[in-house]
Order: sequence, then structure tokens, then C-alpha cells
Amino acid sequence: MDGPARTRQQRNVEKVLFTAFVGTILVIAMVVAWEWPVRASIIVLLLGSIGIALTLVQLVSDLKSIAPDSVPSEALNLEAPAFESSSRWGTLEIWGWIIGFLVLIQLIGFLYAIPLFTFLYTKGYGGGWFLSLVLAACAWSLVYAIFGAVLHVPWPDPLISVFKIQ
Amino acid sequence: MLEAALDGLLGVLALHSLGLMCVGVLIGSLVGFLPGIGGPTTLAIMLPFVMTMQDPMAVIALLVGLDAVGNTASAFTSILISVPGSSGSQATILDGFAMAKRGEAARALSASFMASLIGGFIGPIVLLASLPFLRPLVLAFGSPEFFVLTIWGLAMVGVLSGNAPVKGLLAGIIGVLIATVGLDVKSGIERFAFGEPYLWEGISLILVALGLFGVPECIDLASRKTSIAERTELGSGFTEGIKDVFRHWWLTVRSSAVGVWVGFLPGLGSSVADWFAYAHAIQTEKNPGRFGQGDVRGVIAPEAANNSKEAGSYIPTLAFGIPGGTSTALILTAFVAVGIEPGPEMLTSKLNFTFAVIWTLVIANIVAVAACMAFVKPISKACFFPFYTIVPLILVFVIVGGFSAHFSNTDLLVLLVFSVLGFMMRRHGWPRAPLLLGVVLGAKMELYLWLSYTRFGLEWLWRPGVIILFVLVLASVLYPVWQQKRAVTSA
Repeated sequence: MDGPARTRQQRNVEKVLFTAFVGTILVIAMVVAWEWPVRASIIVLLLGSIGIALTLVQLVSDLKSIAPDSVPSEALNLEAPAFESSSRWGTLEIWGWIIGFLVLIQLIGFLYAIPLFTFLYTKGYGGGWFLSLVLAACAWSLVYAIFGAVLHVPWPDPLISVFKIQ
Repeated sequence: MLEAALDGLLGVLALHSLGLMCVGVLIGSLVGFLPGIGGPTTLAIMLPFVMTMQDPMAVIALLVGLDAVGNTASAFTSILISVPGSSGSQATILDGFAMAKRGEAARALSASFMASLIGGFIGPIVLLASLPFLRPLVLAFGSPEFFVLTIWGLAMVGVLSGNAPVKGLLAGIIGVLIATVGLDVKSGIERFAFGEPYLWEGISLILVALGLFGVPECIDLASRKTSIAERTELGSGFTEGIKDVFRHWWLTVRSSAVGVWVGFLPGLGSSVADWFAYAHAIQTEKNPGRFGQGDVRGVIAPEAANNSKEAGSYIPTLAFGIPGGTSTALILTAFVAVGIEPGPEMLTSKLNFTFAVIWTLVIANIVAVAACMAFVKPISKACFFPFYTIVPLILVFVIVGGFSAHFSNTDLLVLLVFSVLGFMMRRHGWPRAPLLLGVVLGAKMELYLWLSYTRFGLEWLWRPGVIILFVLVLASVLYPVWQQKRAVTSA
């Protein structure tokens, strides 16, 4: 099997697994709702049963696409465009940044993490020192003005107490 | 009606509302010409801010103003760098970018602004004209009809918003189930909360919207690593472009009508309006062979349609509480939060709010077009921002906006869960709009179903209105499936 065919096959297996995951969620929802009074369960049972039937239809369609003799349809595109990453690590790279930002927020708090993340991201991808610093300052000021001063968001205490805002 | 129209106009023109409308227009335009940030992401970020506001007129001015103008400014990137700023300006690329390469970017831009302005006028006029017809229809509906109508809206969005009808319907069902999470006040039952106090109040729509749309769009933008594109000069012919629109005034009117119709049908949305209008122009205009090679008519048709579509989408949203797409679903949530309840009241006692929406659509379009024309040079330069200046700012606002849902660290965890779900849905071709719409409509759907059952037993199924609407639901679901099967067979 050549490279693109292997990637396509891998993507198709992922597709089946995702559909199966959706079906599992629906089955669990139905089982949990079974014990509830009619008032609370009617919508879950009604739509859940339709959902399970639809999942089976989708699963059959997905399974057909991973059959070894299946030919990818060029005539009709039934899927919305998926990510086609140009970088070496694909989308893992940006997921790393997102998770890293969330961890940073927990460690040093929003008001320090925001400028630091903005600066590191901009600088890391080729932005100059001045641009990176200006963007970091803009991000911090906008968040502080809108969410801090106007909406009075209570910023949580960071895990590292040195960064706690008094 | 005149009194309500005047009240709506005064409400929108109040200094506070007018200022917020200008802010909305500014943000909407920024979002429009920066590829990668969609209107739904911005609306989701705005929700925590908007929900603290007390004045319904101000909320209408801000959100409707923001939503109305996104497609106007998105023509900049479509024409200058061949990247659509929003999904509604994809068709504009075909002729707009070809004109820019020929040194007529200024002409293409001015034609697109003028067509947007006229489309932005025709849409609200149709919305206004539909009011006398909508009022008796809405008042004749009871809870059984409204229940089937919510199903119809969800089915339409599910089937039509992507290319996979079954996945769309499943996404809508999952959305309704997400809406049931939390304490059910009527029965006192804790649903899918698993003893977690955080989940008793349900899952915030802000987190669902930001997770489904904000983070995946950001991932897309960061993964594509859109670099600084080759610069295109504006060239000449700015006034010629304006004249072009009046030269082809009948095409502008027809394309606007196509836009309103597409907006009115739940599920089709911006990404279809421009293509429908473009196809209509090719089918009906003389010398169709010139389309795609830099014909100004190929800019006028989609740009008129994508602006008039916005007003069309407010018809089912305001009259029946059935949003036509993601943006109107989010706006509807904000409306309900500040006491604007869509339905019969919007056409009777609260008609002034409906007029405020109409006035905002008109005024916001004028402001946006005037700003785009006045600042055409600096805005054109801003189109060339590289991805690394946009991605961190969006991520910061998405994450802080998510935290504002309940000011809890669990918000960030829920946001991450919905981000992964949104990413997986996009990766595997599952439309995300039906899921969001399911969350918005879930509570209403459940209420209407229960009211219908307790009032009429199973008799409600035989009401003429219900039967007609059920036939429409079936037709909406089965027709696209039948069309796809036919296309596969013929291929």
C-alpha cells in the first residue's frame, strides 16, 4: 500500500472509530435515561433511538469505505474539508501550544500567561522582537480592559504563589 | 406599526446603542478581512460580555451590527489575496481576484462594496414586507406546530449545512442531548450530571460555541501557516466599480433576492448564498463565458447575495425562534438572555425590537460600506498579516472568553473537551452547526413536546398544521439524500 493510500485507510479507520464513539454515547444516554420519569426522559429516549438507528446507517457507510476493495469516490465529495497541515508535526504542534497555554494559566495565572504565550508564539514563528512585544502588550491590555475592568472577571490564583496578584 | 418603527429607530439611534453598533461594525469588519476568524467565533467570544448588558436595544445594535457586515469586509481578502475572509465570499474570488491580477482591484472592491450596500438594503425591505404575512401564521401556531417547527429547523440545518445528511442529523441529536444536561426543574431529576455540581446548571452555550468553532478554526489557521501573500496593487477604476453596480442594477436586485431566500431557509447560510447568486448570474446573464476571467458581474452577484442573506435569516429567527445558522443561533441566545423572546411577541407587543433589527441591518451596512470605502488603502495593507500575529490573539480571547462562562477552571476543561470534539468533527466531515443549533433549540423542543403531549395526548399528531410540517420535515430530509444517491448513480 502506497503512502497516500495508507493515510486514507488510516483516516477511514479513525472515521469508523469516531462514529462508533458517537453511537456509544447515545447508547449510554439511553441506558441512563431509562430510569428517569417520563417528563425527564421523553426527549432523550425519542431522539436517542432515532440517533442509534442513524449511527448504524453511518457505521455501515464508514465500514464500506475501509473495505480493501473500496475505491475513493472522486465524483462526489460528501465530506466537509478536513485539516491538511503543512507542518512536520501536523496539528500536534498547535495542540501543544494550546495545552501549554492552559498549563501556563494554571501555573502563573491569566495575567502573566497571556503576554508570555503571545510573545513566545509570535517570536517562535518568525515575528520580530518589537512586533512580539507589541502584540503581547496588546493582548494583555485588551484582556485586562475588557474582562478585568469592564466584566470584573475574578482571576483565579495561580499554583505558583509568587505570581499571585495582590 | 409606525409607532413601533419609530421606537425601534430611536432605540438604535440612542447614543449608547449607536456607539455599540459602531463597535460591532468595527469588530465585524476586522473579522471579515482577517481570514481564519469567523463570525461565529467572534459572536461566541462576545457572549459573556453581551449577557451582562441590560439594554436590549444595545444588544441588538452590537450583535446585529457585527453580524451584518462581516461579508462586506471579507471581499478585501477574496479580491486581493484570493483567500475568502468569510465563507460568504468564496465565489467572489473567481472574478474578483482575476480583476485584481489585471490591475483592477480598486474597481472590484468598489463594485463589491456598492453591491453589498444594495443587498444590505433589499434584505431588510423583504424582512419588513414579510411582517404582515408572518403575524397571522405565527399566531395560528400552537405548541405541537412549534415542536415540529423546531424539528424542521434542526433537520434542515443537519441535512443541508454539510455534505453528509446522516452526520448532520446525528450532530443535531447530540446537541439536543447536551442541552438536557443539568437539573431538570420540572421533574427534579439530575440529568447526565453524574453528581457534579458544576453540571447542575447545564453546559454553557459559550463553551460549546467556542470549543466547536473558535479552537478548530484557530488550529486550521495555525496548521496552514498562511504566510504573507504576494502583494497586489489596488490599481484604478474605483468610481467605475460603483457605476458597474448601477449598470447591472437588475442583476444586483435579483442576486439580493436569491440571498434573502437562501437566508430564510434554515441550514443553507452564507457559504451557499454567494454560489447560488453566482450560478444564477451565469445562467441568466449575457456572455456567460466571461465569468471567471475577471467579469465585474461575478463580483456583484455574490456580494449582493451574501449581505441580503443576513436579513433573510432573521425571518425564521425572530418569528419562530428557529435560527437559520450558527451566527443567528448565538444571537438568539444573547437575545433570550437579555429578555428578547422570539416568537409571536416579536410581531405584536415587541415589534419595536424587530424594527430595531431591521434598522440596525440598514444603518450598519451604510457605516461598514462607508468605512471600507474611506479606508480602502490601510485595510488592504492589513490583509497581509501573517498567521502568527492572529493565532495567539484569537486563542487568548477564546480561552479567556471560555473562562468567563462560570469563572471556573472546570470551564477550561469543558472548553478543551468541546475543542477536541469540534476538531474531530471537522476532521471527519461532521457538520458542527447542527450540534450548536441542537443545544440552542433543545430546551424549547423538549418544552413544546411535553406541552403537546400533556394538552392533547397523541391527538396533536393529527393536527393539520403538524401534518403539513411533518411532510416538510420528511421532504427536507429525504430530498437531499435522494439527490445524492442520484448523483452517485449517474457518476
